[in-house]
Order: sequence, then structure tokens, then C-alpha cells
Amino acid sequence: MLNVHQIALGYNGTPLIEGCSFALEQGQVCAVIGHNGSGKSTLMRTLLGIQPPLAGRIDWHDPASAPKGQPRNIAYLGQSADLDHQFPMRVKDAVAMGAWKGLGFWTGIDQAKADRIDYALTRTGLAEMADLPLYACSAGQLQRCFFARAIVQDAPVILLDEPFSTIDQSTEAKLVEIIREWRAEGRGLMIVLHDLSAVMGLADTCLLLGDGRASFGQADDVITIDNLIAHHYLSETQAEWLTLLQQKGAS
Amino acid sequence: MLEWLEYDFMQRALVATSVLSVSIAPVGAFLVLRRLSLAGEAMAHAIVPGIVIAFVIFGLSAVSMITGGLIAGILVALGTSMLARRTLIREDASLASLYLIALALGIFILSAAGSAIPLKSFLFGSALGIGDDTLVLIGATATITLMTFAVMLRPLIAATFDPIFYESQSHRPGLVQQWFMFLLVLNLLAAFKSLGTLMAVGLMILPATAARYWVSTITSYMILTLIFALLSCWIGLILSFYLSQVPTGPAIVLVAGGFFFFSLLFAPLGMVWGRFVQK
Repeated sequence: MLNVHQIALGYNGTPLIEGCSFALEQGQVCAVIGHNGSGKSTLMRTLLGIQPPLAGRIDWHDPASAPKGQPRNIAYLGQSADLDHQFPMRVKDAVAMGAWKGLGFWTGIDQAKADRIDYALTRTGLAEMADLPLYACSAGQLQRCFFARAIVQDAPVILLDEPFSTIDQSTEAKLVEIIREWRAEGRGLMIVLHDLSAVMGLADTCLLLGDGRASFGQADDVITIDNLIAHHYLSETQAEWLTLLQQKGAS
Repeated sequence: MLEWLEYDFMQRALVATSVLSVSIAPVGAFLVLRRLSLAGEAMAHAIVPGIVIAFVIFGLSAVSMITGGLIAGILVALGTSMLARRTLIREDASLASLYLIALALGIFILSAAGSAIPLKSFLFGSALGIGDDTLVLIGATATITLMTFAVMLRPLIAATFDPIFYESQSHRPGLVQQWFMFLLVLNLLAAFKSLGTLMAVGLMILPATAARYWVSTITSYMILTLIFALLSCWIGLILSFYLSQVPTGPAIVLVAGGFFFFSLLFAPLGMVWGRFVQK
């Protein structure tokens, strides 16, 4: 559903990443990993159509795509640390935002959309919190709220930027379940992840960014110690430690 | 008790500030949510030279003063972002430098030109001089502002709460922000006559920050902001009527400040009861 050919990403004409190519199919999870400042979030912004690539081509093959080649609908879940947790809004209002696209100035939310909002609240375990203000949410509940918003968006493509960075293990397990459900429904997912262990269980393919370039392939093929060093994700000392620990564990 | 209402100029001031409150409150509510309170303050000073130059050349014409104010505001905004990007000083220092120069330039020109408006009422507002053209300006501003909010409320909420999410959903994401900045300048201009250049932002910010301590939905937040703004104007006007040496601007803003401190302490999310709040 998505083919990216040799794109360059960056600001003010200075590329962060060059020659980045990858593909995303329906029902696939692609993990995006890389060190801080390697261009992961810039890539997300580019796929969302907010920031044009410096070079290269992005082809969407969404059957319902708009003439420009942008998919009709992308769900996006940013890093919740960037948001105002004190914003005067109830949990269900934040979830309902997923249904706002395409609404007229005066149109309200119809029954189908209202049902979908209720379903999303129940699915994420927030039904009982629906009327509480956002500031009463813990970090994990806030993240579930954004997952619920993405469920409401009902988009063929879902982009998640570090969805597990602020939450505890049990919430993470519940959210991973939702991600697997999305994959089973045939949606294409790209997930920026910091924690390599999450990648191993979840990702079909992997895009490794760093050192001004990108490697793409099956997750198992891309995530090798040599590759991680080459893309500055690990330093050589860290890698030596890892190898040492692995040998210890094996013996 | 109501003798102040018998005066024609007080009736005008009451109408002017009431309509102004209806217009300025929603703008202030979102200015606070968008974390632009200080930028709003800076913008209020940045537009002064534009207004003064327009006033000195064309006299008290609302259209030329708006045009002048908008031009000065845009120049300062562009200058700030250029200085911050191209030179070593950061955005806050660039903005502060430029708006201070702008404010000084405005007052300098106003004084040098020997203006008919006394400096004190220019800086701090006056209930006395509210003429028909000021009433028309305030009415037009309120109309444009309320129509905008009727059409743009959902995009504005989304763009304020989660900008990247909003940008991913919208075809013209910049429009909301640019139009909001236009509303900001327009409302500051409308507030000049009654509140003065130094106090105009006070009626925008303080009712909104006070209301934040009471509510947890956007609708109730905007309504409460409006109520605080209206009460501040009415009580402030009466104060400045009985203490005739006190200009209207500080009187109104001080009342708004009273609401702020009361809310800060005793509102449900204030310091005494606010158990829920975590940063």
C-alpha cells in the first residue's frame, strides 16, 4: 500500500537521511528504529504529508486515495509528552476528535460515529473514565485515550511515534494486543520504537535509520549487531557488552 | 447607586466594554491554551507604532489604524522569526528586543507629533473618548470574531491540543494559526481605546487564566472566561468613575486580577482544593 523510493529527509535543504527506500503492505507492521535525531519523527511528518521530502518519491496505493496520492486517511499517534495534559477536555472528547475529519461546521457526530467512539472507549478499557477530565488520567490512560482516537479514525494506515515510551508493562501488553488486532484487520502500521525487545515480538519488517542512511528488510535480517553499530544505534562498547552477555547466557 | 449610568459617556463605555468582552474572551481563552500569553502581550506593544503613524497621518480612522497595526504586527513577527533563525539570539530575546523598540518608537512619534490624545489615555485607556467609530470598530471585531469561532472552533481545538494530529488531518493547516493571529491583533486594536496599549492584553489573559481553575471542558471554560471578562469591565468602569483619577485600563485589569487570585486560591482546581492536578 506504500512504496517509498530513495527519499531524502531533512530541514533547510540539509538532509538527515538520504536514499531511504522501503515498502509497507496491508496487514504488516514496520518498526522504525534509530538513535535520537536520526530522522524518525521527520519521517513520520513526511509520511503524514506535513513536510515534503527533499528528494525521492512516495507512492500510496490506497484504493480510496485522493488524487494527490495521499491516502484518504492516516491515523497518527504522536508522543504524548508533547501535549498539554491539563487541556480542558473530557476523555470522550479527546477520543471523539478521531471522528472530526470531514465534519461540516455545524454537523454533529452521527449515530454510527457515536457507536464507534463507544466501542473504542470500551476496547481500550476507558468506558468508565469517559466523562472524567483529561488531567485526571495517568500517562498510561492518556496513551489508551490516543489509541481509542486512532480506533475511531478507522484508517487503513496507522503511524505510531514511540507509543510505549511513557507507560507501564501491563498497559503496554494491552496496547500491543490492539496493534495485533489492527494488523489482523489488514491495516498497515509503522511504529517508531525505542525498545528493541518490543520490535522482536511485533514487527514484520524493520527500517533502521542512522548515520545519514537507512536499512530496510525483514526485522530479523535488519536487526543485527553489525547493522546496529553501522547505524550508530549501538556504540562498539555497548555491542561488546551485549555479545559478552549473550555468550554468558548461552554457556 | 446607579447615578453613573445617567452619563452618556458611561453608557457608551458600558456598551463598548461589554461587546468587547464577548469578542476578546474566546480569543483570550485560546491564547492561554495555545501558550501564547506572553506573545500576545508582546504583540500588543508591537502594533503601537503602526497605529500611531496611521493616527498621525490619517487621524482617528479605524480602517487606517487597523491597517497600520496589522503591518507593524506582521513586521515584528517576521523580524522575530528571521532574527531567531539567522542570528545567534533566540526567539524570546528577538521578540523582546523588537517589541520594545516598536513600543518606544510609537510613544516617541505620538509625543513628537504633539498628538491630541493625552499620553495617559493612550497608554492606560479612557472611558471618556469612546466615539461612534470606536463602537463600530468594536462591533465589527466582535462580529468577525464570533463568526470565526462558529466556523473554526473544532479545527482550533484540535490544532491547539494536538498540532501534528491536526496537521495530518487538514489540507490547509496554517490557516487556523494565521487567522487566529489576525483575530488577536484585531481584538487588541478594538481594546485600545477603553483599555490603553499597556492594559489591552490584561482583559484577554486574566479572565482566561482565572477560568482555567474552575472547569474541565472547553465550553464551560469559554463561558466562564466571558463571565469574568464582563464582570471585570463593569466593576472596573464603576471604580474608575468614582475614583476619577484612575484610568479605566488599570481599574478593569485589577478587577480581573482579583478574580484570578480568588480562583487561584478557592476554585476546584486551585491551590486549596486542587488535588487532581499533576504536571
